[in-house]
Amino acid sequence: MTRAASSGVAEPPVAGPGPDERLARRSPLRRLLGRPELGALLGAVALFVFFSVVADAFLRAGSFSTVLYASSTFGIMAVGVSLLMIGGEFDLSAGVLVTSSALIAALTAYQLTLNVWAGVAISLVLTLALGAANGLLYVRTRLPSFIVTLATFFMLAGLNLGVTKALTGNVASDSVRDMDGFDSARAVFASDMDVLGVNVRITVLWWLLFVAVATWILLRTRTGNWIFAVGGSADSARAVGVPVDRVKIGLFMGVAFCAWFSGMHLVFAFATVQSGEGVGNEFLYIICAVIGGCLLTGGYGSAIGAAIGAFIFGMTNKGIVYAEWNPDWFRFFLGAMLLIATVVNLAVRRRVERTS
Amino acid sequence: MALATVGLLALGACSSEGGKKAEEEAEGTGARLKIAMVTHSAPGDTFWDIVQKGAKAAAAKDGAEFLYAADPDGGKQAELVQAQIDKRVDGIIVTLAKPDAMRDVLARATAAKIPVVSINSGQHESARLGAVAHFGQDETIAGEAAGAEMTRIGAKNALCVVHEQGNVGLEARCAGARKTFRGTMRNLFVQGANMPGVKSSITAKLQADDGVDGILTLGAPFAATAVDAVKEAGGDAKIGTFDLNRDLIASITSGAVAFAVDQQPYLQGYEAVDQLWLLRTNGNVLGGGRPVLTGPAIVTKENAGRLEAFANRGTR
Amino acid sequence: MTGTDQPLIRLTGVGKSHGAVIALRDVDLEASAGEVTCVLGDNGAGKSTLIKIVAGLHRHDTGTYEVQGEKVEFGSPREALDRGIATVYQDLAVVPLMPVWRNFFLGSEKRRRFGRLDIVSMRETARREMAAMGVDLRDVDQPIGTLSGGERQCVAIARAVHFGARALVLDEPTAALGVKQAGVVLRYIVRARERGLAVVFITHNPHHAYPVGDRFLILNRGRSIGDHNKDEITREELTALMAGGGELEELARELDVAGD
Repeated sequence: MTRAASSGVAEPPVAGPGPDERLARRSPLRRLLGRPELGALLGAVALFVFFSVVADAFLRAGSFSTVLYASSTFGIMAVGVSLLMIGGEFDLSAGVLVTSSALIAALTAYQLTLNVWAGVAISLVLTLALGAANGLLYVRTRLPSFIVTLATFFMLAGLNLGVTKALTGNVASDSVRDMDGFDSARAVFASDMDVLGVNVRITVLWWLLFVAVATWILLRTRTGNWIFAVGGSADSARAVGVPVDRVKIGLFMGVAFCAWFSGMHLVFAFATVQSGEGVGNEFLYIICAVIGGCLLTGGYGSAIGAAIGAFIFGMTNKGIVYAEWNPDWFRFFLGAMLLIATVVNLAVRRRVERTS
Repeated sequence: MALATVGLLALGACSSEGGKKAEEEAEGTGARLKIAMVTHSAPGDTFWDIVQKGAKAAAAKDGAEFLYAADPDGGKQAELVQAQIDKRVDGIIVTLAKPDAMRDVLARATAAKIPVVSINSGQHESARLGAVAHFGQDETIAGEAAGAEMTRIGAKNALCVVHEQGNVGLEARCAGARKTFRGTMRNLFVQGANMPGVKSSITAKLQADDGVDGILTLGAPFAATAVDAVKEAGGDAKIGTFDLNRDLIASITSGAVAFAVDQQPYLQGYEAVDQLWLLRTNGNVLGGGRPVLTGPAIVTKENAGRLEAFANRGTR
Repeated sequence: MTGTDQPLIRLTGVGKSHGAVIALRDVDLEASAGEVTCVLGDNGAGKSTLIKIVAGLHRHDTGTYEVQGEKVEFGSPREALDRGIATVYQDLAVVPLMPVWRNFFLGSEKRRRFGRLDIVSMRETARREMAAMGVDLRDVDQPIGTLSGGERQCVAIARAVHFGARALVLDEPTAALGVKQAGVVLRYIVRARERGLAVVFITHNPHHAYPVGDRFLILNRGRSIGDHNKDEITREELTALMAGGGELEELARELDVAGD
C-alpha cells in the first residue's frame, strides 16, 4: 500500500464526467476499502450465509421480515447515535430516553384524556427538549458526554419509574388502545403491510428513510461536513468558524428525535409502556454504530454502516433462535462481533491517520 | 463451530425413544414435535433453569424437541415469539409478565394455527390473549399465603422486596401478602440483575429503619442476599421468600430463612410441554379454560428435608 | 494594489498583560501588502501573545492597532477575518480524517439549492487553488491526515488565501517540520507574498526567516529588541540578535548548515 485508504467521508461517485480525470485512476476497490461500512458489510454477508446454512427457517420470507423488524427497532436509534458518535460524543441516556418518550406520550394522553396525537406531539417537544438538555449540559460543563449522559440516564430511569408510579399507581402506563387517534397513530408508527406476500413492518420503511436522510445530511450538506469536523477535531472546526456547540446540541437532539420515534413505536405497538424498560439498550445502539464503522473517538463513520450494524445485530439476535441454539451464548457472540468490528476499525484509522 | 457443536450436543441430550406415531399427523412431516418456550427471564436465572429442566423432561418423555429463548424486554420477547412462529414450531409456551407487549404476536400465533400455552405470569390475560391453558401460581393467592406465613413467624413491620420492575406478578404477590399480613408491609424496589446492589439496598433500608422485623423476598436468590443483609445491618429480621432452590432448602433447614412459597417451576415447564403434546396428539386441554395452579406450596423447616434430594438434582 | 502607502497592519506601542505578568510591552509591528514581516523570538518572548492580538483572539491593553490606517479592536477572530486578516495556527485547524477538499471549505462551504453542497465545484476549486500554490494533489478526496506536514500547512494557507485573506498570519508554520518540508512551506510563503498578501511570519528560526523576510521584528521577554528591514541586517546579525547576544553564535552557525 503506497496510499492510505480514503476517509470516512467517502463520496459516492459524482454523476457525469469528474472534474479531475485523475480521480478515475483511483481503483474502485481502493475506494471501497476505505469506506467505513465495508467491514460491517462483509460481516453481514458472512453472517447471512452462515445462518442460511445452519438454520433452515432463516431463509423463509417470514423469518426475514422478523429479522428486519428486529433490526429496525435498533436501527432507527442507531441512526441518531451514529451521527452523534461521528460528532465525537456518546449518549448513554438513549436507551431510557426511548422509554421516557413513550411514557410521556402515553401518560399525557391518558391522564389528560387527549387524542393520542396530542400525546405524540407533546412527547416530541419534550423529548427534543431532553436531547437539547443533554447537549447543553455537555456544552456548558465541558464534562465528557459519557459522564453527562450517564447522569441523565440515571435521572431519566428514576423519573420514568417515579412519575409513572405516582400518576398511575403502577409501574406501567395505562393502555391507550381505546383512545381517539390510536388507530391512525398505530398506522404511522406500528403497522405492517403485505408486500408480495411478505409481511413488512412499517418501522423497516421508516428505518430505511431515516438512514437515507442521515446519509444525505452527512455527505451532501454543510451540516454533515460540520458533524465530521466537530468529531474529528472540535478545536480545528471552531477555529474555522464552525459553530461547534450548536452542532453538538443538534446531534443530541437528533438522538432524541430517534428516541421519540422509537418511543412512539413502543406506545402504538404495545399500548402500554413498561417504565423500567430501555435500560441497557443504549449500549446496543452504540454497538450497532461501532460494528458499522463509527470510531469511538469520533470523526469517522456512516449512517449506512450503523444500519448494517443493526442488521447484523438483528440477524444474530434472531439467527440464534432460528438455528435453535442455546440463547445463553448470544451475548458471547455479540461481544465477539464488537471486538472484531473495533479491531477492524482501528486498523482502518491507523492507515488513514498515518502521516508521511 | 464450537457453538454449533454445543447446540448439537444439547439437541442430542433431549432425544429419546419417545416418538409417538400420533404426532406425525400433527404437521404431516413425520418429524418430532417442536415446542418452543419464550420467557421474560434475564439470562442465567436459577428459577428459569428449573422451568427448563421440567420442560426438557416432558419433551424427552414425549419425544418432542424443546427450544428455549428469553428476553426481559417485552418488545424483544414478542420478537422472539415471532421468530418461533416463523420457524413454524408446533406449540409455543410464553410467559405473560408484560401482556400488552405479547398481544399482537400471540394473535399472529393464533392466525398461524400454532397453539399457545402461558406459564408463570399473566393468568388473567392468558385466555383473552388466545392461550389454551395457563400453568402457574395465582400470585395473589400465593401472596396471601406468604402474608399469613409472615404473620405466623411473628413479623410486625415487613418489607416486600420487588426485584423486577414492571412485573405485575411481583406486585400482586406483595399486594396479596399485604392483605393477609397482620402488620405493616412496604415495598422495596431493588435491581434484581445486580445482586450486590440488592444487598446494599436491603442493608441500607434496615439501617435506616431498625423497626423492620420481617423481609419477604420474591425470588429464592434474594432470600440468601437478604440473610446476608440482615447479618450486615445487625438486627433480627426474619426472612420469608417466594420460590425455592438448593441453597434455600439448606437455609430453611438451618433456620436462616423461615419459609418459602414454592410455585414449583419444574411443574410449569413440564406441564406446559405436556399440555401442548397432549393437545397435538390427543386434543386434550387441562384446566377447562381456567388457570391450573402449580402453587403455592409452602416449604418450612418441617418439610424441607424431604425436598433436599430433589433440590440437589436442580429440579425443585 | 492601492493605498500601499498605508501598511495593511500597523501596531503601535502595543502591550498586554495577563494579570501580573506582562506578556508584551510597547511593541510596534507593520505588515504591508506584498511583504513578509518576520516576528522572531525564543519561547516566551511574546510572539504568540502578539499574534493573538493581531488575529483578534486577545485585545491589546495599551497602544493602537490599525488596519489600513483605521483603528480597530477585535472581539473575535471572525472580526479579524472579516477585515481580511487570516491566521494559520501551528495546529493548522484541519481535521485529519476529512478529505482535503472538505477541509479546504470547512466553515465556508459552497452550497446549491436546498442546502446541497456544491461538491463538484468545491473539489475542483480546492485542486486548482492547491495547484496554483504549487502543491499538486493527486486526489483531493484523500484525508488530509495522509498529507505531509508541509502539505497540510499549505492547504491551510491556500484556504486562507482563497477566502480573501489580504494579510496572512502564520504561527510557527515551520516549527514541527523537517528541513525539506520547511522548504516547501517557505516557498509557499514567497508565493503568497507574490500574490500581494501581507504576510506575518512567526518563527524562532532565523534561518527560516531570513530568506523570505522583508522586515524582521525580534522580541525578547515581551519587548522589541530590534526592528529591521532586510537591507539593514545580515543573517549573522539576525541570528546573533535572536540568540540574545552572540553566546550561541557558534551553535547558530552549525544550525545554519541544517537550516535551509
